[in-house]
Formats: sequence, structure tokens, C-alpha cells
Amino acid sequence: MGSVLEAEGLLVGYAGAPVCGEVSATVAAGEILGIVGVNGAGKSTVARTIAGRQAPLDGDVKVHGLLVDPDAVPFRRQVSAVFDDDLFFPSLTVREHLLLVARGHSVADPEGRVEKELDFFGLLGRADAIPDALSSGQRRRLLLAAGLIRPSSLLILDEPEQRLDPIMRVALGVRIAEHARNGGAVVLVTHDPELLLATATSCLVIDHEVRELEPVQGASIIAGS
Amino acid sequence: MLTLDDSTPDRHLAAEIVRFTRSTTRRHKRSRVSLSERFVDAYSWGLGIAVSLTIAASFVLALRNEIADRSSAGTGIIGAQWLILPEPVLWTSVTYAFLLVVSNLARKLGPVTVGGPESIWWLTLPIDRRPMVLPPFLRKAALTGTGLTLLYLPFSMVTAVDRTAPEHLLASVTFGAAGVIAVTLAAFQQLGLLGPRIGRVVPMTALLACAVLPTASSSPWPAALAFVTAVVLLVLEGPRTGEVRSEELIRGGAVAGHAGASLFMMDSNEVLRALGGGRKTVDGGRAAGFFARPAGGPLRALIRADIVAFLRLNPPLMPSVLWLAACVAMLLVEGGLPEFAQLGIIVIAGCATASGMGGVARKAALVPELEALLPLHPALVRSSRALMPCLAMAVWMAALSGLLVLLGASDPALIAVGALAGIGMGAGTLRSATKAAPDWSAPPVDTPFGPVPRAQLGSLMRGLDVTILAMVPVMVGLYLGYTPLTVVVVQALFSAGIVLLSVLSKPKKA
Repeated sequence: MGSVLEAEGLLVGYAGAPVCGEVSATVAAGEILGIVGVNGAGKSTVARTIAGRQAPLDGDVKVHGLLVDPDAVPFRRQVSAVFDDDLFFPSLTVREHLLLVARGHSVADPEGRVEKELDFFGLLGRADAIPDALSSGQRRRLLLAAGLIRPSSLLILDEPEQRLDPIMRVALGVRIAEHARNGGAVVLVTHDPELLLATATSCLVIDHEVRELEPVQGASIIAGS
Repeated sequence: MLTLDDSTPDRHLAAEIVRFTRSTTRRHKRSRVSLSERFVDAYSWGLGIAVSLTIAASFVLALRNEIADRSSAGTGIIGAQWLILPEPVLWTSVTYAFLLVVSNLARKLGPVTVGGPESIWWLTLPIDRRPMVLPPFLRKAALTGTGLTLLYLPFSMVTAVDRTAPEHLLASVTFGAAGVIAVTLAAFQQLGLLGPRIGRVVPMTALLACAVLPTASSSPWPAALAFVTAVVLLVLEGPRTGEVRSEELIRGGAVAGHAGASLFMMDSNEVLRALGGGRKTVDGGRAAGFFARPAGGPLRALIRADIVAFLRLNPPLMPSVLWLAACVAMLLVEGGLPEFAQLGIIVIAGCATASGMGGVARKAALVPELEALLPLHPALVRSSRALMPCLAMAVWMAALSGLLVLLGASDPALIAVGALAGIGMGAGTLRSATKAAPDWSAPPVDTPFGPVPRAQLGSLMRGLDVTILAMVPVMVGLYLGYTPLTVVVVQALFSAGIVLLSVLSKPKKA
């Protein structure tokens, strides 16, 4: 299968100062790239740069052979990114938020699809609640549901396991693997060795020098062994 | 697969998404606020606005009568004017300066923006962004136009007493349209079609032409020209609003949200922080050699750090010079403004310049732990922080007083009094920077004149109070037209007292 994401000599950081070493990676359809590292290593910065949320200091990131451009409609159609953005429309309910995304991406039978996602993420009972009435874990589930309800060929997840209970973490792992089986590529930033082992096909360890390792080795680095 | 073709984003779908979000928001808001509450809100707002307008109108009419009745010369603080600025030049310059401020503010606040939730939930959708950003932009342009039209009306009445009522109205409409042009040109800058330099020069030139138009209010053509230009620019900009980059949309929305919330809470420090957020980057290399030199003791090290921080935060040089020029221009105007108006303008200019010098103190106030970083008494830390604002304001006031002396407003001793006043005004910036945000939950205090929100007023006036106080003796000197020794002594005492008050009083906690 062709490569979905290509990063070549990618340098990321803030105000001209890099936060980690150069990143070079390729992710093909059906592959899941795990990104691990200690706190402050620059994992999320790498993910944000790949998602086009900040400009690279140097190097190129291409999605389907085109340079990343978050303002291009094809990019928005193909790339789904879930970060820890705790921003919601204060007056839209959980169901309405998901319906907004489903309609915006022209998902067939949006209402039915929304019900399925609500069911999967255990939000059916809170479907008519506004974000202020949700717990932080429920808000996290809503963000993940919004990222997964829409079609995408590249899914970028920044520590999706945060604030999720163990059962939901396992279910999420299954869901990520399913996305890859259906032909999607995934970039997964995680601190959870089990989630990494359950999903990743390759692994980048972010540090002053970025290394590509087997997921097993990446998991042991996260676990500190 | 990604396709190279840009694909035709479904505008209808985008409009539907926006309609869906807005109608749900309206429904939610309606469900939370009862009809009676809405009536009370509307009544309170209406009453407040009516009272404010009545006060403003009476003030404007009084000022207008004062100007109409003035004698041809000798009414201002400069007894014998040897240099005269024609009135139309001054008022056109003021109009131009105001339009530049509108343009600059519009650029800082967007003007094409999205809010926080929209940036996450709307901008990532693969649909045309125009229906998301165009209606709020048009609303902003219309509000700016209406607001500036209303604002220019009293200005026109005061500065051109010989105009008829329809002429005042035409001049105001012209100015309102010029405001819309300023906002639209700022939106063009967001698109980045012109380079950064040309992008700045074009609006400045266009606004200069706009500033001249209200003076020709005897004919309806200038108003028609400004109105048509505004509409044409809006028609040209409208279809392209969807092309503004998401980074720009989010930046403008964040600044506008921050500034709006700070204004709502009447927290002047936060407003200045919000508007200063997009300023040119901090110069990290300036005065590095000076900073690297060995310091003899913690106080010297701190003073050096505060001086370097002041220089690196790019103190607002251009606004200070412009305020200076504005003061001088007001004094030189043909016929002369009434004395109290001239003194009032100098006080406003002084307060505005002083507030720009408190950048380091405002930033340091965000981290109170900084005061405990070095083994120094907090009063010494605050003295060090006030040093550069005091010095800068002393120079500014000395320059202003020097110019006034040159124009014949007073004797040379006024320069020394002005410099002394500047020291007190600089200390006022420190007091202002360390004030707490107004606590709107504190109950008003009952007085013979009714309930007064004393705690909130105290918080709002902190800093500004001593800055104005520091200017009182120098204003008395200007009013008298000479500088008696008493004024010098009183000014020295006032400034010393204000410095002591600012460095010895602890920062207010929220």
C-alpha cells in the first residue's frame, strides 16, 4: 500500500528552538506509528506539526505526497486529529457536537452513526448533556468520538488514553486497530505500553536523537524497564 | 486519497452547519434566561445608555458653547501664540490618527476571526469557511461604522461650530464609512495579498484620504464617495474571507476574546496584555553586553535586569512621540481651545503615555514569586521596577515642558517641575500594574447619594489616581503661566510621596 504520511528531516519546536532531534518517518495505509518519549521530549509538538497546527522549523511533512496545509479542503477531509483541546460549544449537547462533525463530513445517515458512536464511547446516557455537565473523562470520550466518527485516511491521536478508564482504553485500542485494518494510517502518541503493544506496527522514540524501534522496545522504554 | 484538485466545498452545507450551531445556541440561551430577566436587562442597559448619552450631550454642548464664545486669542495656556496651526489641519490630523487607531485595533483583533470552539469544531471540517466567518465580519464592520458615526457627531459639533445640522450628519456618516474602510483594509491585510510593508503603506495612504473627506461636508459627494468605497471594498473582501488562514483566524479570535473579556471585567491591565500579545517579538539580544557585566550585589543585579527587560520589551516610542505632538498641536491651534480643555488633553496624554511604560511591571505582576527571587526587601524590588518608567516619564515630561516653555507657556523652571512630575507618573505605572482585577461580587456601599461600588472603583482607579495627582502641580504652573517656587516644592513633595506610596504599598490581591 502507498505511504500516507512522509516526514523527512522534520525539525519541530518553538521560537526557532528545536525541542527534539530530526524526525524522519513514513506511515503507509494500514500502519500504526507509535510515538513515545518522556514528558517534555516533544512528542505532542511532533504530532501538532504533522497535523499542521504549527509550522515546522525545518524539513517537510507530506500527506499523500502533498505538503501539509491545514487550510486545504483535501487535507481537512483526509486528516483527523484528536488533541487535548477542552473547547466545546457551551450550548451544544454531546449528540449535537457529533452531529455537527458527521454532517460537516457528509457522513451517510449521520443520526444513526452518531448513535453508534455514543454507544461505543458509553455516552448514550449523557447524549443530551452540554459539555459543562460532563466529567473530564466524558469530554475526552466526546473528542475521541468526534475524531473517529468521520472518515479519514490519517488519524493523529495525542495521548488518547488520558482520563479514560481501563475498559475504555482496551476498547479504544481495538478501535484504532480496526481503523488501520480498514486502510487508514494512524499516528499514536502514547504513554501507555499496553495500548502501544496492542496497536502499533512501528515506534518512534522522541529524544535529542529520534530512534525508530520495535513497539516492544518502545513499550519497555515507557514502562521504564 | 488526497486529490490535487481543490474540490468545490459545499457552501450550502457550510451555511447549514453554521445555522445549526447558531440556532441551537439561541435556543439554549433562551431556555436559560426568562422573559422578565431579559426585560430587566434591556431596561438597565437602556437606562444606562440614556443617562450616559445625556451627560455626554450636555458636556458636548457646553464645550461647543465655550468654543463658540471664545475670543480670537489669548484664551489658552499660551498667552501670545507666535506659531499658529490652522484648525482644519489639526482636526484632520486628529481624524487621521483616530482612523489609524481603528485600523490598528482592527488588525490586532482580526478582524476576520473565529472563537475557541469554532476553531476546533468548524475549521477542521472540509467545507467552505466563508459562511462561518463572513457574517461576524460584516457585523463587526457595520457596528464599527455605526459606532464611529455616533462618535464623530459630537466631535464635529465641537470642532466645526459653523456647520449646519445636515452637514454634521454628513461628516459623521463619512467618518463612519471611513471606519468601515479601515476595518476592511485590515481584513485585506489578513489575506496577505500584499507584502507586509506595502500592506501597511496602502491602508495608511487610503486612510489619509478618508481623513480629509469629513472636512468637505458642505457637499454630499464626499459622504457618497466614502460610502461607495466602503461597499466596494466589502464586496471585494467578502468572497475572500473564507481564504484567511486558520492560524490568523484563531489568533484574531484569541486576542479579541481576551480583550473582550478583560473589557467586560474592566481589567485595564488585562486589556493591555491582550492587545500587546501580538506586538513585535521581544528583542532577546538587546543590551546583552550590559546585562552580562558583573553586578555588585543583588540590588544592582536586579536594577540591571529591570533595565534590560524594559529595553527588550520595546517600550512604545512612537505613541509617546505622537502624544507629545498631539499636546503641542492642541496648544497651537488657531483661536485656541479653552484652557481647561488644553489642560485636560495634556493630562490624558500623560496618563496614556505612562500606561505604555508599565510593560515590565505588568508582566512581573503575573508572577508574584519574582519579588522573592532575590534576597531583597519587596520595597527595593518595587523601586527597581519603577526606575525605568520613572526615568522614561521624567524625560517625556521634561520634553513636553521644554516645548511648552519654547512656545511661551511658562518660564524654564517648568522643565524641572515637569521632570519631577514624570517621576511621580512613572511610579503610578507600578501601582497600576500591581492592582487586582475588580471584584464584581463585592456589594456596593450605601452613601447619601445611593449605593456606590467603592471596592470596584478603588480597583479601577488604582495607579491612575496617583498619575493624575502627580500632574496637578505642573498643571497649576501651566495655568498660572509662570513657575513660583511653591509649585516646585509642592511638585517635589507630591512626586516623592507618590514614589514612596507606590514602592511601600503591597500589591493588591484579587
